[in-house]
Amino acid sequence: MAVVEMRKLTVIGLNSSRFSFIRELMHLGVVEINSQEGVVNDEEWMPDIFRTSNSADVSRLEADIARVSTALEAIGKYDSAKKPLFLSRKEMDRATFADYMDQVKTETERNVDAAVMAYKGIADSQTEINRLRTLITGLKPWEKLDIPLEEKETEFACVILGVAPVKTDTGKLITAALEGAPSAVVEEISADKQQRYYSVICLKEERDKLFEALRPFNFGAIALSEQNGTPAEIIKHHEKTISELETGIVEKQKKLAELSPARPNIEYLYDNLVMRRDGERIIGDMLNTEAVFYFDGWMPRAAQPEVEDLLKKYECYYNIEEPAPDEDVPVLLNNNSLVTPFEAVTGMYSLPSRSDIDPTKFLAPFYFIFFGMMLSDAAYGIILSLGCAVLLKKYKLEGTTFRMIKMFFFCGISTFIWGLLFGGWFGDFFTVAAKTIFNKDFVIEPLWFNPLNEPMRLLVVSLILGAIHLFTGMAIQAYMHIRDGHPLDALFDIGLWYVLLIGIVMFGFGGSVSAGLTNVGKIMAIVGAVGILLTGGRKNKGIFGKIKGGLGSLYGITSYLSDVLSYSRLLALGLATGVVAQVINMLGSLAGGGVGGTILLLVVFLFGTIFNIAINALGAFVHSCRLQYVEFFGKFYTGGGRPFVPFERKTKYIKILKEGKNNE
Amino acid sequence: MSNLISGEFLALLGGALAALFAGIGSAKGVGIAGEAAAGVVSEDPNKFGQVLLLQALPGTQGIYGLLIAFIVMVKVGLLSGSMAELSVVQGASIFAACMPIAFVGLISGISQGKAAAAGVMLVGKKPSELAKGMLFAAMVETYAVLALLVSFLMLNGIQV
Repeated sequence: MAVVEMRKLTVIGLNSSRFSFIRELMHLGVVEINSQEGVVNDEEWMPDIFRTSNSADVSRLEADIARVSTALEAIGKYDSAKKPLFLSRKEMDRATFADYMDQVKTETERNVDAAVMAYKGIADSQTEINRLRTLITGLKPWEKLDIPLEEKETEFACVILGVAPVKTDTGKLITAALEGAPSAVVEEISADKQQRYYSVICLKEERDKLFEALRPFNFGAIALSEQNGTPAEIIKHHEKTISELETGIVEKQKKLAELSPARPNIEYLYDNLVMRRDGERIIGDMLNTEAVFYFDGWMPRAAQPEVEDLLKKYECYYNIEEPAPDEDVPVLLNNNSLVTPFEAVTGMYSLPSRSDIDPTKFLAPFYFIFFGMMLSDAAYGIILSLGCAVLLKKYKLEGTTFRMIKMFFFCGISTFIWGLLFGGWFGDFFTVAAKTIFNKDFVIEPLWFNPLNEPMRLLVVSLILGAIHLFTGMAIQAYMHIRDGHPLDALFDIGLWYVLLIGIVMFGFGGSVSAGLTNVGKIMAIVGAVGILLTGGRKNKGIFGKIKGGLGSLYGITSYLSDVLSYSRLLALGLATGVVAQVINMLGSLAGGGVGGTILLLVVFLFGTIFNIAINALGAFVHSCRLQYVEFFGKFYTGGGRPFVPFERKTKYIKILKEGKNNE
Repeated sequence: MSNLISGEFLALLGGALAALFAGIGSAKGVGIAGEAAAGVVSEDPNKFGQVLLLQALPGTQGIYGLLIAFIVMVKVGLLSGSMAELSVVQGASIFAACMPIAFVGLISGISQGKAAAAGVMLVGKKPSELAKGMLFAAMVETYAVLALLVSFLMLNGIQV
């Protein structure tokens, strides 16, 4: 079975061995533990059964994790080494990891502190620099003022700093000021796009009169912040501070960059903390009494022996049972290595519910074929497969990323095969290149036929493939009916449709093979249609309900028609790749032969090909998915399964190997 | 003026309209999706790759239009330098064959852009649901694909 069989596990163990038990369980990584939140509602039991409240421990660890990830972020920002495209986890066995962590712990903690300090220092310095820059901007217009700012008044005179709109005529303003306050000394310090800046010195007693006289000019006094020295001095001082801070930042950045060799250790520390936090969290999820703990959860049946060994080792009381039919069992898929990559396609839709069967192995061959047909260029297929192979070789990929890349690797092979069949090698690049550069005729003959010359033939092939795909989906539905003990449903809902649809096809096209087929087809179609009309409404009540149901199901034939026509996209997208490739090659050949023409051809070809692969691989991916999700899944699949999430090490940087078996 | 209603002109007009309308549809659609994508990326720059995929989806209509225009050009011999003599009926037929992708390309490009923009929002909230967002947009594309097919098969059937 492709959906892994699950067993329900119930465990009671002693509190004394709880921590090491949890650690071992996490190491096994095969048991999903249900949260016990809100399970015990019985007043009578409440006082004795409790959930260990260790949220303080958890949050302490969370804070540590946050600190370490800040350190990682800080180092990562100034690490000049190139970042890999995909993260791959370093493999290590358990004892080595524990020893290693003990060994480097103190030093790593120190590095984390240093990194966090430096990072915070950089942020603080930057804030301070911004503050000083604002101050400088405010002082800039007053730079020429030679009175220290703290000097606001003498015994008799006062200094007024003020602004007026830029349109102000300084001469008139001075005249007006002198009229109001004869003692005034007015000086224009500077002007910018909006304002003119004035300093005015006058006797204290004439101050009010001065303001009165200057009111028509929209003169406003301003107060500069409390700073000592002339504006020029202050600006200079601030600028010095800024440059000091900037040097400090550069130093701290250098320090962070120097810490980058310590990065792997910090990453391990991060993983270590995450593992500890997850362990604490699980403990918080369990039920406890004074002496024992309780939890329940799920495990794959295959993992039963190793879990039992562990439970026996820790002298736990446990119970393993088959899930009840209505229980919400988590879903884990298991397929052979050829099919596994396509689990990504199933996973993107929804995992199978308990009544579904795993569709992955059925959709895999069709996905393979469809993707290749839509891209259908031998050279593109080679590029796609090679690219994926390099990624797979170079990085230790895991999980969905691994499956996706592996799937595209397979799809590249399919693309290559279809390209051979249809004679597409970068479109018609080699023909064009031979003609343009060497003035020779050279054609790569397709193994089967060229779809650009015979599109109708490919359309028929597409629709036939579609019909096979749909019939497969219907067969799976029929199987599910029979498995659930409804063979009649299988006969009426699927069998009759087979008869009708095959009949129609034979009636329509059988004539070209032999005249007899047309008649057989006609009879089959009639039998099928009448059958559907009679049985389609069998679950409805009343004669009208039955008639309506029958007509309704027969009307469903339109949906089969649209489903089949939907596969014409196999032709259309295949043509799109081919024609776009040809357009690229033709554009490149426009300059003709010679050195210039050859270079143009190659440049256009290079960029055009990258573009064409990118856009059409995306199209092939999306539309292959669509054919599976809408047309194929529509026939039998519901989905909605909950993924199996075992309690395991959720580490980002390190993969701890299991004794005995190193690869899951 | 009477020379204007020639077969050659009608054929080229059809090809031009195919590239024109389908191109406009894609340009609008990609634009709509791009606006939404930029919004999501402003919140979380790590989603750039995912939303870029969605933004690219409404771009295909323009390519389909280009494809049909290109086939028209090959058919009338524009690219090989010697234009074929077309009767008005032939020209008008080519013109007619270009219409499906022109109109469906225009409308479906814009609609797909809207669906893709909604998909972008979906990814913004639930990054794991990228496939579903893409699927919603791909549903719209079906009709552009069908129109492309009709245009292509018609062009293929017209004898010049």
